[in-house]
Amino acid sequence: MKINRCYPIAIIQAALLTIASVVNGAEDTTTGEYVTRKEYDELKAQLLAMKKELDAIKKEKTVAPKRESSESRAVASTASTQGNPEGQNVSDLNKDVTSAVTKPVSESAGSLLGTTKFLLTGWAEGMFEARNGQVSTFSASFNPIFLWELTPKLFFDSRLEIEPSGGGTNVNLVNAQLSYLLNDYMVLGVGEFFSPSNVFVERFEPQWINKLPDRPIGVYHGVLPNISVGAQVRGGFPIGPTRANYAFYVSNGPVLNTFDARTAGTLDFNSYTDNNDNKAVGGRVGFLPIPGVEVGYGFETSKPGFQGTTFHDVQALVQSVDLEVTRDSDLLKGRINLFAQYAWSHVDHAVYDPDGSLGFGPLPLTAKRDGGYAELAYRPTKIDIDFLRNLELIYRWDHLSRDPSGLGDPEETRSTLGLDFWLSPSTVVKAAYEWDQVNGQPNKNAVLLQAAMGF
Amino acid sequence: MTRNRSYVAVLILLLCASAGWDLLAGPKADQTTTNQSASTVSSDSYMGLSGEELWSNNCLRCHNIRPPTMYGDAQWDVIVHHMRLRANITGQEQRAIVEFLKSAK
Repeated sequence: MKINRCYPIAIIQAALLTIASVVNGAEDTTTGEYVTRKEYDELKAQLLAMKKELDAIKKEKTVAPKRESSESRAVASTASTQGNPEGQNVSDLNKDVTSAVTKPVSESAGSLLGTTKFLLTGWAEGMFEARNGQVSTFSASFNPIFLWELTPKLFFDSRLEIEPSGGGTNVNLVNAQLSYLLNDYMVLGVGEFFSPSNVFVERFEPQWINKLPDRPIGVYHGVLPNISVGAQVRGGFPIGPTRANYAFYVSNGPVLNTFDARTAGTLDFNSYTDNNDNKAVGGRVGFLPIPGVEVGYGFETSKPGFQGTTFHDVQALVQSVDLEVTRDSDLLKGRINLFAQYAWSHVDHAVYDPDGSLGFGPLPLTAKRDGGYAELAYRPTKIDIDFLRNLELIYRWDHLSRDPSGLGDPEETRSTLGLDFWLSPSTVVKAAYEWDQVNGQPNKNAVLLQAAMGF
Repeated sequence: MTRNRSYVAVLILLLCASAGWDLLAGPKADQTTTNQSASTVSSDSYMGLSGEELWSNNCLRCHNIRPPTMYGDAQWDVIVHHMRLRANITGQEQRAIVEFLKSAK
């Protein structure tokens, strides 16, 4: 009986010893899936420490504005009671104090987030075009713009153009420029940039900005430079109540077409590598007599002939004038935009294919071309009906003279009437009809539809 | 002949623009004059124009304006910096516009 009573006690003791040894062992070793007590305590301690730090930061942030306002009040009251011998405005003193107090907070936030600012922006578009004499087609493009503000003075911007073509996808580098803000009125830039004298390319080319589905012919077909590779200096400054701006650049310049009778004497602005040691010099000056009105004059002078050929001394000069007007009118209950640019190019006299080896010479020629556009748009922004307020009516006239040799493209004049519907400030659906008259050829009238979105 | 026609076209455009200017004049011109003559000028002003007016005047020259809430503060820094390079606005205008865009949210 006594022995029987000892059995349960011995069993209980053995069980307790087993459990205790298991618990002790668990504290010292890490199982594959569970956290040990030691690790748990360490993590808990770390969490508490982090909580304390977070509380301290929160406290600092809430105290800073209070401190700032109380100090501002103190300075203000001191200034008002003691007087201000130098006549400095009290609000100016407040601003000084405010900026001094807030600086550490903003600096700490900046250090947390980093100092480089990056933005991916750009636009995308889809289009349908049915043109007389050509097969109708859909097209699309995606145009990302990469913006980096490396410091408040140093900036990089680049744009790609990505579009389906044939059986593949075309990817083009449109521009890539590094800029440095020298002062409030001057910026230095180097790289591949939009030619300042071509106002349409520099300002209106993105399809959420361009009010019509297609682009003016005059600014893309050899009359005006569109992209330049080189260096530029630009900026704006006030002149009394008016403003002026400028942009001057040195670049590789265009290439003179000499090998084909059709294009002889024209300038190829899409060749970005240089063909000689001469550099093109160009620029634009703009004047804004009142807000919303700008007139400009642009030029580019170059020697576009290949080095070592008879064309190496041929001089080319491109000049242009432009006008941009934006006006809100109560009378018309809306906004009027007028954009216009006209350009003239002149290439010195030269003899193309002088020995006849290319089969079309000798062809003596002084190459002159001109082209441009004028666009008028009206949007009833002051009408109360939402639907009408989002409509915009556009008319554009554009023109390009014939190729200088008389053997290439003939003179072309177009008139385009368009209607836009704005879904948001940067999303638009466009419809347009284009009367396209090519001298001596059947018309190339077209129906154009497009949806574009800027982001 | 073509050149003469081009000159005439440009001239007509300029004449139309200048003649139509007064006809189209709205209250905004008066507002600008009032602001310029005002004795108190806010910290985000430039040439008598507030940051909001500079934002409206400069951006609308080329495209529709996007609301200040569309982007964050850091994004506006980058965008207005980019637009300064493109539209040839001054550093003071850039700062006034950024200050307005950040405060308008």
